[in-house]
Amino acid sequence: MEVQKEAQRIMTLSVWKMYHSRMQRGGLRLHRSLQLSLVMRSARELYLSAKVEALDLETPSTPTRCPPLSPEPMDTQEDEEEASPRAAETLARCSAHPARVGRKRRSSSLSNGVDAGLVPSKKARLEEKEEAEDASSEVPDRLLPPPAQAEGAFPNLARVLQRSFSGLLNRGPTAPPTAPPARDAKPVCRPADPVLSVLVRAVVAF
Amino acid sequence: MFSGPRQRGLRLLTHAEWCGVPSEASVLLCKTVSMRAGDLAQWFRCLLHKRKDPSWISADIISTVEFNYSGDLLATGDKGGRVVIFQREQESKSRPHSRGEYNVYSTFQSHEPEFDYLKSLEIEEKINKIRWLPQQNAAHFLLSTNDKTIKLWKISERDKRAEGYNLKDEDGRLRDPFRITALRVPILKPMDLMVEASPRRIFANAHTYHINSISVNSDHETYLSADDLRINLWHLEITDRSFNIVDIKPANMEELTEVITAAEFHPHQCNVFVYSSSKGTIRLCDMRSSALCDRHSKFFEEPEDPSSRSFFSEIISSISDVKFSHSGRYMMTRDYLSVKVWDLNMESRPVETHQVHEYLRSKLCSLYENDCIFDKFECCWNGSDSAIMTGSYNNFFRMFDRNTRRDVTLEASRENSKPRASLKPRKVCTGGKRKKDEISVDSLDFNKKILHTAWHPMENIIAVAATNNLYIFQDKIN
Repeated sequence: MEVQKEAQRIMTLSVWKMYHSRMQRGGLRLHRSLQLSLVMRSARELYLSAKVEALDLETPSTPTRCPPLSPEPMDTQEDEEEASPRAAETLARCSAHPARVGRKRRSSSLSNGVDAGLVPSKKARLEEKEEAEDASSEVPDRLLPPPAQAEGAFPNLARVLQRSFSGLLNRGPTAPPTAPPARDAKPVCRPADPVLSVLVRAVVAF
Repeated sequence: MFSGPRQRGLRLLTHAEWCGVPSEASVLLCKTVSMRAGDLAQWFRCLLHKRKDPSWISADIISTVEFNYSGDLLATGDKGGRVVIFQREQESKSRPHSRGEYNVYSTFQSHEPEFDYLKSLEIEEKINKIRWLPQQNAAHFLLSTNDKTIKLWKISERDKRAEGYNLKDEDGRLRDPFRITALRVPILKPMDLMVEASPRRIFANAHTYHINSISVNSDHETYLSADDLRINLWHLEITDRSFNIVDIKPANMEELTEVITAAEFHPHQCNVFVYSSSKGTIRLCDMRSSALCDRHSKFFEEPEDPSSRSFFSEIISSISDVKFSHSGRYMMTRDYLSVKVWDLNMESRPVETHQVHEYLRSKLCSLYENDCIFDKFECCWNGSDSAIMTGSYNNFFRMFDRNTRRDVTLEASRENSKPRASLKPRKVCTGGKRKKDEISVDSLDFNKKILHTAWHPMENIIAVAATNNLYIFQDKIN
């Protein structure tokens, strides 16, 4: 669980940094965005592998497992929902390094050398997520970024970030996120969160 | 160079501080710095009295430092788009105490903030790099660049003025034609030395992404400029055209895996250049092989040590600077934790690896949180290629002697730069009991970083930029 929490924290932090970097002077820095996305991808893999391991421990007899792709759109969507309330808390100093177990598993699952194959598949997953969200939320026109600003290295990612935040706007405080029972009960804090409202204002300003 | 039995060591030669006041006033403060190290304490007292709040604004952060080919001039660029040039005082018999200090020679605003209307983006005026051109006449030329535009500046001295014009009087006003009764020849009269900087060429609109490097070719006619995905070749006389020689932009931007982080021409072979990537690789290209140098001639990469692989491995392996040695036989690369020296004839691994601050390896997570992991440190060679230098945190900088395999950590700070005293070596305590005079890793100030350093091309004089302060140290035998 430590590993999962840590990975999630880093994912949250990366999302926040990426979002923040769009607003800084000089525009989107390609190198920085690339590095952030690399960290996010690593954190995501670590999180997923830790999750799979946790599932392994809980249900050791099941020969077949749900493919990791299908619960994923939900997971990461919820991650990003919880990302904003947690953003304020992520600035605490990191004292624990990823558990050895997580690291070992990760190094065995990753291919050596260039992980070029992982990048396109990551983008594919993001597009799946997009489709899932399209059905669930309506995005008002004014919240969509103008085409000029959507240019850059990761236009799809930008749109995804956009939609996930605007999805929060549309979803009221009464709708709790659906969580699979296997996951820990995480505190679901909503509206009266200054960080969230700031981010929402930023989205509107976009 | 490193403290030995004889009284050797690095002493502070000149210190200049950029302060948060409009540019002219800050120039004045710099000018008063031309004094012996013995006067340092006095000047600081004076400075602190002048301002209640000794804080500075971010526009004063030094973003590049570069000696010219002779070492007599030192150019610095800052985040506010200004260039300040220091000149070395001639050591003369009349001023035996001057010891070759550096004084402000010229200050000018090189770049202004711009706005890209098409993309609704502001273009920062921060000077990313300055490169001098070899001197060919009395004037000095340098190239300075921000994220999008490169400018060629001419710095010239004027110490004579013409007097006795026929058509205008001394104020410059036109004389009444009826008043002109006789013809005279204007004569040149001496005047106070004035240093003028004028932009001679502006090389614009060639880069979609942010320029990270410029490098003057050994033919002294061309230069390259590199951004995240492309490298362009320019001729110094031609501003409306440039040749694209490297393009690593993928057809689909979503497949992007690496970017160009630095590029440099070979110091002697005008057809060879190298560029480094965010994946920790260096490619050497020969312009004779094809017009578009997408295929490298040599590929330098050190295989990753699987045992040291961690979460942030990819980020810290990104190369932030690449520099050829003066001989042209070696090149040096700087990644987040180490400096590596490569032999151009061996692509499989570097010939030397020097750890700069290995104690940070266990702190990568917190360094990611405070954005320090993205810091781009530079590195430099000394004139004889026997030593290399690079910066670190807490205003520390490190020097490595390649022959004796010794290294030293020094600190650039006012408190430690006492007059006539050598810089004391510093040590970071990595664990266990902290000895006296050691500093523990947790006490390091990560806001005080030395990203830019420069070494005089011939002598043991170094320039170190610590945020908004410039320190110039000289190695002298007592």
